[in-house]
Amino acid sequence: MTIVLEELLQMTAEEIWARNERPTADQLRNKEQTFFDDVHEGMELPKYIYRPTPTHLFRWSAAIENFHRIHYDLDFGLNHDKNPSILVHGSWKQSVVPQYLKDFTLPRGWPWKARFEHRAMLVPGDVLIMWGRVTDTREKGGMGFIDLEIGMKTHDGIESMPGTATVVLPLRDGPEIPYPFVPPAD
Amino acid sequence: MTQETQSALTPEVKAMIGVSGEVVEGWGVVDEEYLRRFTQAIMDPDPRYWDHEFAEGTHFGKIITPPIMVSYMSSRIRPDQEDPITKAFEEDPMSDGIGRVSRPGSLPSVPTNLVRVLNAGNELEIYQYPSIGDKIFFQNRYSDIRERVGRDGKPFLIVTSETTYRNQNDDLLCITRASSIRR
Repeated sequence: MTIVLEELLQMTAEEIWARNERPTADQLRNKEQTFFDDVHEGMELPKYIYRPTPTHLFRWSAAIENFHRIHYDLDFGLNHDKNPSILVHGSWKQSVVPQYLKDFTLPRGWPWKARFEHRAMLVPGDVLIMWGRVTDTREKGGMGFIDLEIGMKTHDGIESMPGTATVVLPLRDGPEIPYPFVPPAD
Repeated sequence: MTQETQSALTPEVKAMIGVSGEVVEGWGVVDEEYLRRFTQAIMDPDPRYWDHEFAEGTHFGKIITPPIMVSYMSSRIRPDQEDPITKAFEEDPMSDGIGRVSRPGSLPSVPTNLVRVLNAGNELEIYQYPSIGDKIFFQNRYSDIRERVGRDGKPFLIVTSETTYRNQNDDLLCITRASSIRR
């Protein structure tokens, strides 16, 4: 069972890092299905912990061909844009979200949709906590719809990306979730 | 001055809602090397991205890719166009590195004198994982423009741009929306 977010935020950055629940390749390969029947309001998802370094930021810039200097040129960031350091990309955070939802719904659920805001500047040295909490559940069309509150907090408890998401899980005795995903008609 | 003349949501701004760009074919295809670099950069070791034998036995039946990976393919600089990065630094050695370039499929500017732009948030809708070899076609659209009034009593706009991504079979892959505040 995952640690409760509020308890995690009482810990030091090093203690938080030690509670990282990002799965390995083997854990993803062998992941057992979480069914709609297993989920309840207030349930928390595993906590993914990140400690981005300048190298991680540079690798992301290169991967998506984002050449904005605020992400890798410290002198430019400090003296031109007056930022506190080089900045973690909003696009990286945006790409962590569907990964996080995918992992929760694997192997046969679906990470349908998410919405979130970017509120805080994140910098190397921050320990970041990707988190999610179930806010509502409903069954429709033989599928289980799970509403989530999601976010990415710093180890200081600052919420940098408040948002919501809806994922789809199979019912324990229900049909397969269609792939490609087709939501039921309203 | 009347309230109507103070509004930032002028008829010209309202007319932008629903305006679409052309459908653009992204440069290149979804390939394993781009997938490797992308998934390592988001630190996702999922074997569904790289183990063909395993992937074929999953619910998805083949190698998948992160759903919004294709959104970054749409901003690729095509090799048959002028290099905007080199040009940016030739024009301004203190360039921010982004370069000033009109990318294919870009939307026309919203006709407003509110020039300060802030990121207001993102939305994702995911329907199908892109596959290795897929060609990606995307189209931008202004899906919504709303007016709000700030604490200072001045109106501002929330402009939402939507991008729809499809593959070569016209299958809907995902929809992304980016909202910006214009003050």
